[in-house]
Amino acid sequence: MTQDVEMKDHPTPSNSVISTVPSALQHLKEISALIETGSYTKEVRRIFRAVRLTIALRRKLTAAVLLAFLDFILVPGSEAHARLSVYLPKEDEHDMEVDTATSAIQAPAKHLLPELEIYCYLLVLIFLIDQKRYTEAKACSSASIVRLKNLNRRTVDVLASRLYFYYSYSYELTGDLAEIRGNLLALHRISTLRHDELGQETLLNLLLRNYLHYNLYDQAEKLRSKAPRFEAHSNQQFCRYLFYLGKIRTIQLEYTDAKESLLQAARKAPVAARGFRIQCNKWAVLVRLLLGEIPERTIFMQKGMEKALRPYFELTNAVRIGDLELFRTVAEKFAGTFSTDRTHNLIVRLRHNVIRTGLRNISISYSRISLPDVAKKLRLDSANPVADAESIVAKAIRDGAIDATLDHTNGWMVSKETGDIYSTNEPQLAFNSRIAFCLNMHNEAVRALRFPPNPHKEKESAEKRRERQQQEQELAKHIAEEDDDDF
Amino acid sequence: MDPKLTEVSQFFDRFKAAFVRNDFDTCATFLSQLKVLLTEFKSLPPLFEDTPNAVQELTIARDIYEHAVVLSVKTEDQDAFERDFFQLKPYYTDARSRLSLSPQEFPILGLNLLRLLVQNRIAEFHTELELLSSAALENPCIKHAVELEQSFMEGAYNRVLTARQTVPHETYVYFMDLLAKTVRDEIAGCSEKAYDYLSINDARQMLLFSSDQELSEYIKEEHPEWEIKKGSVFFQKAKESAPCKEIPSLQLINQTLSYARELERIV
Repeated sequence: MTQDVEMKDHPTPSNSVISTVPSALQHLKEISALIETGSYTKEVRRIFRAVRLTIALRRKLTAAVLLAFLDFILVPGSEAHARLSVYLPKEDEHDMEVDTATSAIQAPAKHLLPELEIYCYLLVLIFLIDQKRYTEAKACSSASIVRLKNLNRRTVDVLASRLYFYYSYSYELTGDLAEIRGNLLALHRISTLRHDELGQETLLNLLLRNYLHYNLYDQAEKLRSKAPRFEAHSNQQFCRYLFYLGKIRTIQLEYTDAKESLLQAARKAPVAARGFRIQCNKWAVLVRLLLGEIPERTIFMQKGMEKALRPYFELTNAVRIGDLELFRTVAEKFAGTFSTDRTHNLIVRLRHNVIRTGLRNISISYSRISLPDVAKKLRLDSANPVADAESIVAKAIRDGAIDATLDHTNGWMVSKETGDIYSTNEPQLAFNSRIAFCLNMHNEAVRALRFPPNPHKEKESAEKRRERQQQEQELAKHIAEEDDDDF
Repeated sequence: MDPKLTEVSQFFDRFKAAFVRNDFDTCATFLSQLKVLLTEFKSLPPLFEDTPNAVQELTIARDIYEHAVVLSVKTEDQDAFERDFFQLKPYYTDARSRLSLSPQEFPILGLNLLRLLVQNRIAEFHTELELLSSAALENPCIKHAVELEQSFMEGAYNRVLTARQTVPHETYVYFMDLLAKTVRDEIAGCSEKAYDYLSINDARQMLLFSSDQELSEYIKEEHPEWEIKKGSVFFQKAKESAPCKEIPSLQLINQTLSYARELERIV
């Protein structure tokens, strides 16, 4: 028999059926216990786990659950409680959680840990964003940031960095990103002073995102080059950083660096982050096209990304064939997608590549071809196609894209024979770069290995220790004997 | 009206009069005085305070800087252009909501793009391009600069040179002349690699010289390695690097050593 109960009153023990499924509230309580122990023992790992568990719980959060939790953690009537419960509507719930009974019994007069308070802020914020109440989320996050500025504990850092993220997110959803730029910069300064590396990382990424949102590539680059860099603490933040770095480098025409960063970001990203990977892949495809290489078909056929990458697939096709007309039609057809992705300017730059590829195809297939024919094949539409073609070919030759010579008097282009590539150093260099990459990866993997603290040292029984020491002695004797032998 | 504001506007009128007369020295002195006066206004960047006369002050300041930019083009001072343009930029971006659109905005933005192109700062060119809205990109002044960059990148230099006839604004002429010079150097570089030889007439046409004399002078100064004989210019083809028979031993040694080192680490 369930009863409708107002959450704020201390409810009477109800006779409701105990639900067999552990309720969301139960989970939240466990998580809060985890945070408490973590904060007392100063182990940041537990807080990480707590955050991960919360994210898993996200779907099941309701206003009632949250209110119950707030009652449990924060003393009802306290300032913090009042501030947060404003955001949660008081509803009459029909399916009551059993724990109303337990919470009435416990009625804790706890000393409020700052971590728990921040955790409550985080929960409420996530809930508001999921409910799409963005303006309230904005207000809530601003309040939490104000509260955060006074706290200086390492264990709060993890929760704080999540809060920063949602703070920026709520402003972005309402379209007011520019407002918080000053705040983010101040927060970054504060976290650097406090040596809060996770916070620094998160805030740097948020700032970069802020600048890139408004296309301020120049300022983003200035910030990024001056900000202190260190080993990444969080894989997700590192992926984001690589993505923003890749974008900046693309716009600055440094395509090789951009390609590296973007491909790394796409690879390191967790499989679940599909939207992010789609974006990375879009930019990576464009950068590879701009570099003159054609991405393989398999990239476009990855699960779940086919539809989103379709415009780029057709674009790659046009560039591969080297046909200007096709390129133009594709660019027009998908102009909408490109402008939402903000890749429009990059597409314009691709025109040059299309011509190059077309030229390369021609130079490989013909040993000698007249310039008017070249102009016709490239479908250059301009006032004076032959003269254009001539200068374009001359430039391509100078840039090393094609291997040919022009004959002005006769007006034709003569291609040169390509030699045997295996007799040069090329394969050696290609191998070297691959070897270096694999070795690098191995080193990074070794460095990233984590061992739990103090694993077996105490557990080694006396017997094993004796054995080990014996073995070491024998080995030392052995080596000493060998040395004597050498002499 | 605010007395300071009246003072500034009077000064500005005198500046404009000198400008029309093409009296650049007086213009320059007036300009420096105007800039000093402008520092008195609190509503200008970087403070952006909200004073009662804010809009007028901002508009006048913007006009002054726009004229400063055009002045620097007339005096052919690229550094001054850069400085004044940077001071002008906040008026276009941050104060956009408060001021009415200036008619000079797009020509000046186009001028800046052109300047970056001439100075071969292509990365900055593209960064600036990203900041422009799609409406701005439709504007003829800016479209002109963008198409110019495209033709330059592709190598269709004759298009660049014909574009000179179709400048959207007369202030562009200065930069177009500079561009013509860069284009000539580029054409020379390309022809060197692409052609074995060119007849003197063809060479002259391509490099846009009006007489053979100029052509030979140019060759003597810039490209002494070209030879003129039998009525043609012979380009010294960049020596076909003979298939290198020697092995780059130092590089190989370095690489192999690093492999050995890394492998040791694994074991």
